[in-house]
Amino acid sequence: MFEITRDILDPQPLIDFVRKDESGAVVVFHGVVRGRSEGRRVLHLEYDAYIPMAVKEMRKIGDELRSRWQLTEVAMRHRIGRLAVGETCLIVAVSAPHRQDAFAACHHAIDRLKETVPIWKKEIWEGGEAWVEGHVVQREGDSSLP
Amino acid sequence: MRVRVRLFAGLKELIGQEEITVDLPEGATVGDLRERLRRDLPGLAPFLPSLVCAVDEEYRPPEHPLHDGDEVALIPPISGGAHV
Repeated sequence: MFEITRDILDPQPLIDFVRKDESGAVVVFHGVVRGRSEGRRVLHLEYDAYIPMAVKEMRKIGDELRSRWQLTEVAMRHRIGRLAVGETCLIVAVSAPHRQDAFAACHHAIDRLKETVPIWKKEIWEGGEAWVEGHVVQREGDSSLP
Repeated sequence: MRVRVRLFAGLKELIGQEEITVDLPEGATVGDLRERLRRDLPGLAPFLPSLVCAVDEEYRPPEHPLHDGDEVALIPPISGGAHV
């Protein structure tokens, strides 16, 4: 399950999706909108995504996780649109027979999401707003940009 | 040939459009498109060095050949998740 949505994120459907009878562990990560950024009080965030490609890139992350760890299932859901402080922007749920694999794979999934999945966020604070200067995408096997 | 160029986030706001169409000679590459954009949209030029192009939803290098009807997305530095 790899999705971009404008709806409020609820972890339960992802937990239900990844939990299988062979799962001994389900690790769930919530990315949450923080109220302060570089000393400024954030009012809200606005997320944009290249939706079909973002889903494709999340699916690739799922494949990568399965090739590196022994997992039973992976689910990722990222919310876009306007999000208030305290709301969940991202849920990653990973199940595995053993907890070590589930923790490691979930951690890696979030790192990879920030490197490859075309999603952007704008911070709106008192008196201004700006798109967050994030991670410049590195194409596979290419160190010379652009 | 004609390609569709998709814009997101700050680029969409900068250009004021979600999509533009660009006519290119046959045999043009992603690099040729970048050069054309640099010339036709000077406002975009400062951002080009940090942009990566995706063609039909896959990241592609400058030497990648384009074809009529391709959808090219300009991907600025990404910032998904809660914190950078």
